[in-house]
Amino acid sequence: MAEEGALLQLDRIGRRLGGRSVLRDVSFTLGRGDVLGLLGVNGAGKSTTLAVIAGVLAPDAGTVRIGGRDVAEDVRALRGRIGWVPESVPLWPELNLTEALDASGRLRGMPRTARRTAIERELARFELTGLARRLCGQLSLGQKRRAGLAQALLHEPDLLLLDEPGNGLDPVQAAQLREAIGSLSPGRGIILSSHDLAEVEAMCNRVVVLHEGSVRHDARLGGEPGWLDAQFRAIAVSPASAAA
Amino acid sequence: MTAPAIARLDLKRLAVQPFPWVLAGIVVAMMAWQFLLGLSAFLHAQPTVPGATAAIGFTDGVIGPYFLNFLQLCLVIAPLVTMQALAGERGDQRLALLGAAGASGLQIVAGKFLARLAFLWLLLVVVASMPLVLSGATHIDWGQFAAVLVATALCVAALTAIGIAASAFAPGPALAAAAALLIGEGLSLIDAGVRLAGGGGGWLGHLALHTHLAPALRGLMRSEDIVYFLLVTALALALAIRRVGAERERG
Repeated sequence: MAEEGALLQLDRIGRRLGGRSVLRDVSFTLGRGDVLGLLGVNGAGKSTTLAVIAGVLAPDAGTVRIGGRDVAEDVRALRGRIGWVPESVPLWPELNLTEALDASGRLRGMPRTARRTAIERELARFELTGLARRLCGQLSLGQKRRAGLAQALLHEPDLLLLDEPGNGLDPVQAAQLREAIGSLSPGRGIILSSHDLAEVEAMCNRVVVLHEGSVRHDARLGGEPGWLDAQFRAIAVSPASAAA
Repeated sequence: MTAPAIARLDLKRLAVQPFPWVLAGIVVAMMAWQFLLGLSAFLHAQPTVPGATAAIGFTDGVIGPYFLNFLQLCLVIAPLVTMQALAGERGDQRLALLGAAGASGLQIVAGKFLARLAFLWLLLVVVASMPLVLSGATHIDWGQFAAVLVATALCVAALTAIGIAASAFAPGPALAAAAALLIGEGLSLIDAGVRLAGGGGGWLGHLALHTHLAPALRGLMRSEDIVYFLLVTALALALAIRRVGAERERG
């Protein structure tokens, strides 16, 4: 089941929230260079899957392995290999962008010179240098998403988790974000959750479709136009979901 | 490394928000007013006290009640300063971000507690400096002053820890503030009925804040009082750590 040398391996992950089974036997792997789209309708379990991988939620069952090592056995060391951007980008609104990035680096235990270099690098990478002194609470949604990416990449993680990165962005901002994410994939694995098929087709080379907490489809992209749309619709309106 | 980083981050966030400054301004103004009132009452009472040697001293007559007033204010301001600490961080997933960065429940709670304690202790230093301006003009009992200051600092730490615990358990900041205020007032008034009836307070008296403050106000720093404040602080922080640590499991 597991790919040889997979960067990330999820093995039969289960999780209950509020008395409801949100994830059931979720298994998939991710290699370096992969950009995996985690597709599903609202409530399918996409954000919960990302939170489990990020170590924010503990799974009730199953294991998460990064580089072959079980996250539960060495949570702190392996969290250093993950960058996570939740849907509501958690920046501190009362700090300016540089201060917020500096605080993030400090929380990761990065020394001062490494922090300074990383902040300059990420601000330049996401074209945020001109906004370095702006309060995070005054950034637009698109700027916040790019700032969230900069925050997640400060410590140069191997694995990047993006929860609904294109949500609420206008077409120009969405295109800028796609371009930025595209430049990040070499050398690292990226998982982005979305319910936007066009976004996933534009950015990902692989797709996992979650439905009612289970993996219903796991395939490489690159088929005929409309193939993903047909697959997704077939899963989303399956008898199980109709009954629910 | 992470707890000091969280403390530093939160202290910086407190320093750039208007709310803590407004709160600090109100507290300092109220305490200045209380100090002037206390001083005025002391000066008016002095000539009527028979026998200069038996007169109530400046430390007894002004400083003790002054610090007691500050603690009464802290029952309200500690919940206001701590309410956002954890309850206000969940909604935007900032608490989850700290966890994702590798911070444990202990580090998160310790960092949040230290930042707010530093703010309130800074306020205490400003408040304590007011009576000191008269140190050249009157006799201050420095031993009694130190006992009052230490007891006040410990009591503030306990109230801050209670606020942090309330913030860890409450779903929102308003509820956290209300819960911390209720617990603080409860500890303050727990034996009030017994005291009004002329009783000694019994085991309820051992739980009450004032039982452990009263000796310090007279200049007596007892180890049991220090242990009481440290126990309240440790218990509240332990509960908060347990709650934050369980967030990963609870979701």
